[in-house]
Amino acid sequence: MATRNRTTVYRKHRDACKSARAPLSLSASDSFGGPVIEMVSGSFSRSNHSSYAPLNSDDPGPSSSDAFTIGMPPAWVDDSEEVTFNIQKVRDKMGELSKAHSKALMPTFGDNKGIQREVEMLIHDITDLLRNSEKRLQKLSTRGLSEESNLRKNVQRSLATDLQSLSMELRRKQSTYLKRLQQQKEGQDGIDLEFNMNGKMSRLDEEDELGGSGFDDYQTIKMKKGQHVSAEREREIQQVLGSVNDLAQIMKDLSALVIDQGTIVDRIDYNVQNVSTSVEEGFKQLQKAERTQREGPMVKCATILLILCFIMIVLLVLKNILL
Amino acid sequence: MVLVTSVRDYINRMLQDISGMKVLILDSETVSNVSIVYSQSELLQKEVFLVEMIDSISVSKESMSHLKAVYFIRPTSENIQKLRYQLAHPRFGEYHLFFSNLLKDTQIHILADSDEQEVVQQVQEYYADFVAGDPYHFTLNMASNHLYMIPAVVDPSGLQRFSDRVVDGIAAVFLALKRRPVIRYQRTSDTAKRIAQETAKLMYQHESALFDFRRTESSPLLLVIDRRDDPVTPLLNQWTYQAMVHELIGLQDNKVDLKAIGSLPKDQQVEVVLSSEQDAFFKSNMYENFGDIGMNIKRMVDDFQQVAKSNQNIQTVEDMARFVDNYPEYKKMQGNVSKHVTLVTEMSKLVEARKLMMVSQTEQDLACNGGQGAAYEAVTNLLNNESVSDIDRLRLVMLYALRYEKENPVQLMQLFNKLASRSPKYKPGLVQFLLKQAGVEKRTGDLFGNRDLLNIARNMARGLKGVENVYTQHQPLLFQTMESITRGRLRDVDYPFVGDHFQQGRPQEVVIFMVGGTTYEESRSVALQNATNSGIRFILGGSAVLNSKRFLKDLEEAQRISRSGSHMV
Repeated sequence: MATRNRTTVYRKHRDACKSARAPLSLSASDSFGGPVIEMVSGSFSRSNHSSYAPLNSDDPGPSSSDAFTIGMPPAWVDDSEEVTFNIQKVRDKMGELSKAHSKALMPTFGDNKGIQREVEMLIHDITDLLRNSEKRLQKLSTRGLSEESNLRKNVQRSLATDLQSLSMELRRKQSTYLKRLQQQKEGQDGIDLEFNMNGKMSRLDEEDELGGSGFDDYQTIKMKKGQHVSAEREREIQQVLGSVNDLAQIMKDLSALVIDQGTIVDRIDYNVQNVSTSVEEGFKQLQKAERTQREGPMVKCATILLILCFIMIVLLVLKNILL
Repeated sequence: MVLVTSVRDYINRMLQDISGMKVLILDSETVSNVSIVYSQSELLQKEVFLVEMIDSISVSKESMSHLKAVYFIRPTSENIQKLRYQLAHPRFGEYHLFFSNLLKDTQIHILADSDEQEVVQQVQEYYADFVAGDPYHFTLNMASNHLYMIPAVVDPSGLQRFSDRVVDGIAAVFLALKRRPVIRYQRTSDTAKRIAQETAKLMYQHESALFDFRRTESSPLLLVIDRRDDPVTPLLNQWTYQAMVHELIGLQDNKVDLKAIGSLPKDQQVEVVLSSEQDAFFKSNMYENFGDIGMNIKRMVDDFQQVAKSNQNIQTVEDMARFVDNYPEYKKMQGNVSKHVTLVTEMSKLVEARKLMMVSQTEQDLACNGGQGAAYEAVTNLLNNESVSDIDRLRLVMLYALRYEKENPVQLMQLFNKLASRSPKYKPGLVQFLLKQAGVEKRTGDLFGNRDLLNIARNMARGLKGVENVYTQHQPLLFQTMESITRGRLRDVDYPFVGDHFQQGRPQEVVIFMVGGTTYEESRSVALQNATNSGIRFILGGSAVLNSKRFLKDLEEAQRISRSGSHMV
């Protein structure tokens, strides 16, 4: 697709205009003390732009001279930057979590309490970060019809979309981990049972005379160990489920903020019109309120009283004059 | 895809190199250009956190210097004035200006003059000056579309404005496609001729360097034709999904406003989006006829009910987890299903209320089949029928008049009188005005297939074979034009070249611009033609997208102006 860059032509003109203005400004700067450019350009701009701050006024207000300085962004921008930073941290931790998951699922000889604790900690951290970000995000909410509030709402939406996709990714990771855990658990129990069965069978074969009233020591230990392992697995699964529920809660909250794609709410022109109609509506309401207040009974009373006072004063003066 | 992709690429390029929080400022026309191809969530991803209109932004006084302003506006004189003021009182940290068409040097001077604080970082021309609704269909959404029907002597400045806007739009399309075409126009239309000549001047003389693209073996073809050559298509009632929605309810920038129907409960969606890019169901059904749509919707509802049922049956934690996982898709599906069901229900209600099945059958007979006597009978009966609405009566008489203009003038007169007596809001003389504009002498193409023997024979053969669907038997005239181009047999007599342009053989890309507006029936025809892979790609564009209401409104406006004009003369 074709484009054309007009910036060089534009800059040339701008510089030419600046140098044309510069000699004029040198003469003016002696008599006026304020920012010179304002005065000169005042003659260029049309007469009805009276909102231009006059040079000699004491309070220039939010005049164009402020626009020179790059203004400090408002406080809520800090919140949004914090959330962005958190999102990046979450992304890093998710990478670590994948690695930890794959390590935990590898069959080991010793018990893998260490790696499990690491997984737990990571999940805990990530969920905390997400919850924290979500709380900060809620702080960005604001009511009101100004441009500023619209801006905040949009920033909030964008960050909410990111958070939601991250939490969904986390849940997916956890559910795959969970599934594989369960597979492993069944597999392990199955092996244990089989071993026990075989063991029992062999024992019975060997020591038929003993009657096989109970398990012998070895088998008890084996069984206890199997129970222990399955209890542990049980606990892990419960934990993962707990965090799944947490995330579901977060997701529910976030989905209120996120835009559904493909719907009318996702259309730029719909959003722009809505803002303008709500601003118009607000303006109409304000006008109505002003009108009602102006015609209110209080105001009528006050006016009548004032008129009466005035009449009394006039009568008093007349009385004094006549006397 | 080509037009939609071009506009999206332009917008992507605008936003990608500018870092930090941005505010996008549009005017009333570019907001349509952008909204139809780019969604709000995509803007948010590009860190555009605020979208404003150039009109309202002058009013506000807050200074937001931590934002960078990206302007995307048309280079009109009003916009330049507003921009002047805003540059002199800058509210944002940086200003990046993108114009959707060619800037004049004087305009650049004016802007440079007011930019004392040097906040403007770049000034670019990005030619996305058209509304790309569908892959092969664009429109210019012109408000005063009726101006094309008015001769130059009555309102020369109006016609100049119309022509300028059209030329700008066509130029933007070709700049976006990076092509310079060979231009042909419809001989019988002065407006088309004027537009073709001005476009040629722009592309080959004034801005010849800008349009000097790499040559391909065969140049593309730009064909400028006039709506009045085929007044029948916008008058007909439609039965394919997209065209029907536009005809019965109204489709603007791919949005449907259901408020106009007024019969919905409060909590229902009042505005919905019908875009083939975002809605897979719509994409596969937009050209299907009403009966098939009904069946497909029923199938979609059944699928959805199954999913809903399985979602209700949650027993284990796994089910819960799966439900939460699939919830966003479920919600999206639910929204989509309810949208289509609502639309089809509303349209069915309208069809029922206006007895459109009956009316449309007669309309299609008038457009496609012969028999003046039978036609007269049918139209008279429908005029006498109480439940037929005024607009439908008007359409029937117009279609009859267009077809049997010269046969049996007595009966034609009777129909006019009957129409005037039955329809209180009817502006008298409208049908006659239509005949003056688009009557048989004014038309080039063989609208009813009754001019040359070949067409008559073809029609008879079709009549004997019978049609699949009585309601969709009409083919717009555009279809024949496209066939002629494909066969390389577009007559020079009817569609001459501009100046000394010439083309050997067949073009591979054709842009057909219809002055006065296109219809969705024609865009469907183009899409189906492109799907046959004949080696030629067609793109259709117009000054507006018409339905019967809009076409009649344009006619009324033009009639009013002509009348007042003739008083002055």
